[in-house]
Amino acid sequence: MILQAVADTLPLYRDFPIIGSRGAVWIAAELHLMFAAFVLGVPMFAVVAEAIGIFGKDQRYDRLAKEFTRLLLIAYSATAIWGAVLTFLLATLYPRFWAYLTQIFGASMWVYVSIFFFESFTLYLYYYGWDRWKVGRSKIVHWSLGILLNIWGTLVMFIADSWLTYMMTPPRDITPETATTSIKIWHAIMNHTWMPINIHRLIGNVVFGGAIVGAYASYRFLASTSDEERAHYDWMGYVGNFIAIAALIVLPFAGYWLGREIYQYDQSMGITMMGGFMSWLWVIQAFLIAVLFLAGNYYLWIGMGRIPGAERFRPYTKWLLAVLVIGAIVWGTPHTMIADSRELTAMGGSHHPFLGVLGVMSAKNTAVNLMILATFLSFLMYRRANTRPVVPWAKTGTQIQGAMFAIAAAIVLFYGIRGYFVEAIVRIGYSVYQVGAVLACIVFVTVIDVLLARGAESRGTIQWGKMPPRSQYALFILAVTFTWLMGLMGFARSGIRQHWHVWQVIPDTSPYAATPALGYAAIMISVCVLIFLALVGFIFWLGGLAEKSTFVEAKHVGH
Amino acid sequence: MWAINLRIAAVVLGTLAIYTLIANKIPQVQSEVPRALALGADVTPEQLVSAGDELYNGSGGCTACHGLGTRAPNITSDEKGQGAIGARCGSREPGKDCKAYLHEALTRPGAFVVPGYEPIMPDVSRTLSPQQIWALVAYLESLGGTVTVTAADIPAAGGLTPGASPGNTQSGGGSTAFAGGSTDPMAMLRDGGCVGCHKIGEEGGAVGPDLSRVGARLNAAGIREAILAPDAKISPGFENFAGIMPKNYGEQMTAGQLEALVRFLGGRK
Repeated sequence: MILQAVADTLPLYRDFPIIGSRGAVWIAAELHLMFAAFVLGVPMFAVVAEAIGIFGKDQRYDRLAKEFTRLLLIAYSATAIWGAVLTFLLATLYPRFWAYLTQIFGASMWVYVSIFFFESFTLYLYYYGWDRWKVGRSKIVHWSLGILLNIWGTLVMFIADSWLTYMMTPPRDITPETATTSIKIWHAIMNHTWMPINIHRLIGNVVFGGAIVGAYASYRFLASTSDEERAHYDWMGYVGNFIAIAALIVLPFAGYWLGREIYQYDQSMGITMMGGFMSWLWVIQAFLIAVLFLAGNYYLWIGMGRIPGAERFRPYTKWLLAVLVIGAIVWGTPHTMIADSRELTAMGGSHHPFLGVLGVMSAKNTAVNLMILATFLSFLMYRRANTRPVVPWAKTGTQIQGAMFAIAAAIVLFYGIRGYFVEAIVRIGYSVYQVGAVLACIVFVTVIDVLLARGAESRGTIQWGKMPPRSQYALFILAVTFTWLMGLMGFARSGIRQHWHVWQVIPDTSPYAATPALGYAAIMISVCVLIFLALVGFIFWLGGLAEKSTFVEAKHVGH
Repeated sequence: MWAINLRIAAVVLGTLAIYTLIANKIPQVQSEVPRALALGADVTPEQLVSAGDELYNGSGGCTACHGLGTRAPNITSDEKGQGAIGARCGSREPGKDCKAYLHEALTRPGAFVVPGYEPIMPDVSRTLSPQQIWALVAYLESLGGTVTVTAADIPAAGGLTPGASPGNTQSGGGSTAFAGGSTDPMAMLRDGGCVGCHKIGEEGGAVGPDLSRVGARLNAAGIREAILAPDAKISPGFENFAGIMPKNYGEQMTAGQLEALVRFLGGRK
């Protein structure tokens, strides 16, 4: 009752000079989130790299893991600083709403702080114990610290996700009249979108971590003064790009789950997101993902220039480029745009007479699945470039792989075309078959390829470091685009609440209650990305100051 | 080194500039906050229609589904040769005039679902005030029909509470209880729109659980909770329809009506 009385006497809102309270909270939240993604994604990257170093007995990976853990130390401080800024801004600019959240989630906020404390000290142990625990059983203990670091980080993220997902999808029995004291915290945490957001962010952090690693490596590559250093950072950029693109392929499936949960929670919220005032956002998203596919593939194709034997695959790249470009154009075609009655009359119907045919989900699903197949084929060619299989069934194996690609593409095309002739509910089910065919192709072709590579002869050593500088700028474009895309999707997630702090429970009655159009959002996102990249650049520079590297000789074999 | 730094800065800034430019070149749609309406006793039909038009084409978010002809019926121009909504609303649901039907469609959308469409329409009384809802009704009536909404319908003048149907307003006592305050269970089930979604005996729809033998699976407390807080527990198999059943039945029934309904349903075993 005392808490409630205090909350009732608080002012509803205060304003922030020049950029307004919404702008201030937007920047603080976005930057906190970007750094949080960095400090959650990179430890995953580091612990996997360390494991490859331990079990694959390749010291390069161990050094890679340590190099990134060093950057984490500084990035953790930045994350905590932006988290504190966000908390203070919320408490001072939105005091009544902040009081509402603390009344429900207060206990979880205490747990959050405690785990953050454990996480920080685990990180210190992990980094500063690196050279002390580097052999034998103590190395495994050290690696376990890395795993523990990831567990803490994941728990912290899950707790923070519960607050923001409650704002989006509060349990349906909670109404504006519900007393906060009667809301059970676990009931509020276990809301509709909590777990889908958790999973989506977990995968997204891996993508983001990979992209930032790639950008870091490309910067160091461009600044390298020796061949040895250039070779190391070329290899690091390749690993970062590979992880980012591989996780990106899985990310849409987590996105589908999240979207489905939003629709199940409230159809009108889902429709606002996909077909309402946010419908143009998905066209921009398609454009950004097309850039990611094109830049990722471009990097691989250039990278084949440093692999002896890759020349035989070069003629195919123009066809892959054609598939990617056509796919991107189809994916970016608008279909159901929000329009008022006057605009609908002017258009002569609900859909554009020509583009409406290309903009339907059948065409878009077909396009994106073929783009994924093309990207996988690029990677496969890259992987196979400098090897000559020696197993007796090599030719048959390759033919089976080719057949799998053909069958997967045929299934994708068949259901894409058939989707035009069936009811919507049947058509939606077809996307499962299309995705299933592509995933099956990726899994089985990879398995065959691993078996084919057993004892394979080398066509020559990969010339790590022999990459033209333009390839490194592609990695920068990837990192900028991933970061911008993260900001855009954050706007979509937050914006579908429209003029509600908590959907249909706590209305936003501040002067900034209207959800802005994409143009304004894009400016805010770009400002946030710019500040983030500038700070990350500073962290990278500090990292360079901290260690004037001593390089481990790369073994220059395989990948 | 400076040259490299400048080139990297140019790539980063150029990429950001392109994305920002593209996002600013596409149509800019802002999600507005529904404007509060203060309609007095002298409000004219034209004022109501104008306010409804603004809501329908703006902050009400109606055009996200209606008018496209795919997710929901076309409201503004034509639907299967029947004309705009104002021309067909009076014959949509037996026993309901245009005004009553439109009000029900907005506040109890599950009561009658147009054949061929999914029950996806949200209860707009969760987001719009009674004044805004009546303004929407007036606008929809004006699309091919005659506006019959008057100041008397609007709560301040007519005493209607959110969710109450104009067809059910008692003229004398001002009671908002449906079925005219009757405790006849079937009258309540029909007038409350329950049979639009629930089957009972040979009557009713299949959007919600069948109530024909509801007493066999729920006790009196469970039935009471299902009426007053329908989303507290969702029957297995109906998870996708959570949130559709109106949550304001408690405000539309007298205690006597509620208990009569609970007793009736509890006896259906």
